[in-house]
Amino acid sequence: MGLQPHRNKVVDLAAAIADVRDGAMIALGGGLSARLPMAAVREVIRQGRRDLHLVGSAHSIDVDLLVAAEAVHRCEESYVGFEQDLGLAPAYRRAAETGTIEVAESCCVTILAQLRATEMGLPFLPVRGVRGSDIRRLHPEYGEVTCPFTGEVLVAVPALKPDVALLHAPLGDRYGNLHLEQPYVLDERFASASMRVVATVERLVSTEDVAASGVTIPAHLVAAVTEVPFGAHPASCYPNYAYDREHLSGYVKAAQSGGEDLAGYLKTYVYGVADEREYRDLIGSERLAELGRWPESTVDWKGLFQ
Amino acid sequence: MKFTVDEWFVVLLARTIRPAETVFHGFGSPCAQVAMHVARRTHARDITLIEGAMYAVNPDPPFIPPTSNDASLKRGAAYSMRFEEFFDAAIRGDVDRMFLSGGQIDGYGNTNVTAVGPLERPKVKLGGGGGGCNLAATIPHLSLWSSRHRSGRALVESCDFITDMGHRTPSGDRAELGFTGGGPQWMVTELGVFDFPDGHARLTHHFPDVTVEEIRAATGFELRVAGDLRTVQPPSGAELSALRAVDSLGVRRGEFAPKELDRVFDHDPAVGCAC
Repeated sequence: MGLQPHRNKVVDLAAAIADVRDGAMIALGGGLSARLPMAAVREVIRQGRRDLHLVGSAHSIDVDLLVAAEAVHRCEESYVGFEQDLGLAPAYRRAAETGTIEVAESCCVTILAQLRATEMGLPFLPVRGVRGSDIRRLHPEYGEVTCPFTGEVLVAVPALKPDVALLHAPLGDRYGNLHLEQPYVLDERFASASMRVVATVERLVSTEDVAASGVTIPAHLVAAVTEVPFGAHPASCYPNYAYDREHLSGYVKAAQSGGEDLAGYLKTYVYGVADEREYRDLIGSERLAELGRWPESTVDWKGLFQ
Repeated sequence: MKFTVDEWFVVLLARTIRPAETVFHGFGSPCAQVAMHVARRTHARDITLIEGAMYAVNPDPPFIPPTSNDASLKRGAAYSMRFEEFFDAAIRGDVDRMFLSGGQIDGYGNTNVTAVGPLERPKVKLGGGGGGCNLAATIPHLSLWSSRHRSGRALVESCDFITDMGHRTPSGDRAELGFTGGGPQWMVTELGVFDFPDGHARLTHHFPDVTVEEIRAATGFELRVAGDLRTVQPPSGAELSALRAVDSLGVRRGEFAPKELDRVFDHDPAVGCAC
C-alpha cells in the first residue's frame, strides 16, 4: 500500500472515479445524512460501475442510490435507512427482499475492529459481542479465538481493507490534507485502512488555511482530491450547509414507488447531468443558499427541518 | 393542562435513567433521545449524556432535528467524542446505559432490527442495528422501548432474527456468552412498563386507559405480571415542560401510530417529580 507521495493530487471528479474498478470494495465516508460523498457516488453511477461491495457504518441515500442504479453486489453496513423520519431505505429494502444484493449487515464496533486490524498490520482482532446475535450468521468469515491469558472465547473478525474510500470534506488542499467537522464517523479509519482515498472537498484552499482549521486526515493518506461545492448534497456538510430534507423526502417517495419514478430520479439527478456543475444548477442556487443559512438564526435552522 | 401519550411515554423512558450515569441512544431513536434530555433537565442533572451519532457530550441542542447527526445536536457541548472513542468506552463498560428498540422484541429482551421473515428472503428488510450487537454485550443497563406494542407484531414469542442480545438467546445466557453487561433492565411501551426479574419481561405498570387483557392480547410472549401491578406514575409539570422545550419540533411523535396520539390525559398539578 505505502503512504502517498507529497505532490499535487488535484484531478477532476471523472478522472478520480475512473480508477474505481467494477467489483471494488468501496468504503463510504460520513454517515446517515451527514457528509456523504454524494458527488462521487453520482459519478460512480454515471460511469456505470457494477458489482460493488459497499462498506460503512450507518448510511442512507448514498447506499440506496447505488443499489437503485444496480451498481451493488454486496452491502456491508451497520444500517441503511432514513431513520425514524423518512423510514426504511426503499431500493436497499427491495433488493434485499428479492435477493438481488447480498446483505452482509455488520456492526459499527465490528467494522471499526476490522479496520483497526488493517491499520495495525494484523490479520484479525477480537470483539466481545456478536456471539448470540444472528449477525454472526451473515458472516461465515468470522472465527472464534480463545484468549491465551483469560481463557475467554471471543469472536475474531478479519482485517478489512477497502480498495477505495470515498470521502467528502469541507476543506482540503491540493496535496490532500483534509479538514473535517465532527462527527468524523469512520473517515479517519477508512483513510488509513483503504488502498486508496479519493476526496471531494467543498473548497480547495492553501495548506496554511487547512492547517489553521485543523488537519483531520493528512495528505499522506490521500491519493486524489477534487473540488466539488455541495458535493455532499442532499446530505449536510457543516459548517457549509444543512441536509436537504425536502430533497431526501422526494427521493424516498420516488424510490418507494420504484419503476418509472425511481428511474426518473436517476435520470434527472444522475444520468441527465453531465457533471456536478449541472447538478448544482438543477438543484438551484436559491435552494443551495437556503441550506447554507442555518447559522443565521435558530428559527432559520429549525425551519429547514419542518 | 393536558398531555398526550407520547409525552408520558418519553417521561417514563427518562425515569429509567439514574443520576450520575453515562447514557447513550442510538440514531433514529427520537423518543430515547428526547428522554435523555428530559432526565438531564429534571431528576438526573449530573448524567453524562452522549448524543447518538454525534457523540457530543452534554450538548444543549436548540431543538431535536429529525436526523441524528445534525450539527444542532452538538450545540453547547464543550467536547464531542470521536467515533472510536465512544465505542471503546462502551465496550469496556464505561457507558452505563443505552436505549434500544426493535421491529421485534421477545420476552428475554432480544431485539430484531434486521429483518422480518426468513433471512434469505425477508418479508421486510429493516434498517439494521448500528453498533447494537456488540454494545448489547457490554453496556451495564439497557432500557428497551417499543411504541408499537398494540400492533401485536412488536412484542413476539421469538424474533425472526436476533440483532441485539437480551438476557438469553438460543446460543446461551449472558454468562455463557461471556458478556460483561447486565442486559435489559426496563422496557417501556405505549401500553405499559416491564422489568426483567430472572431475565424475562414482567409487566409492572400499565397505562390507566389500557387493561391487562389488552396488553396480553398484544403480547406475543407469555405475559408475566407483577403481584403489585400499578398504573404508571403521571408526569410532573417539570418533566412536561422540559420535554416540550427540548422537542419543539415534536420528532418523538413520529414513533407512534397516529391513533395512539389521540390518547390525551389531564395533568394533575399536585403531582411532583415522581423520581
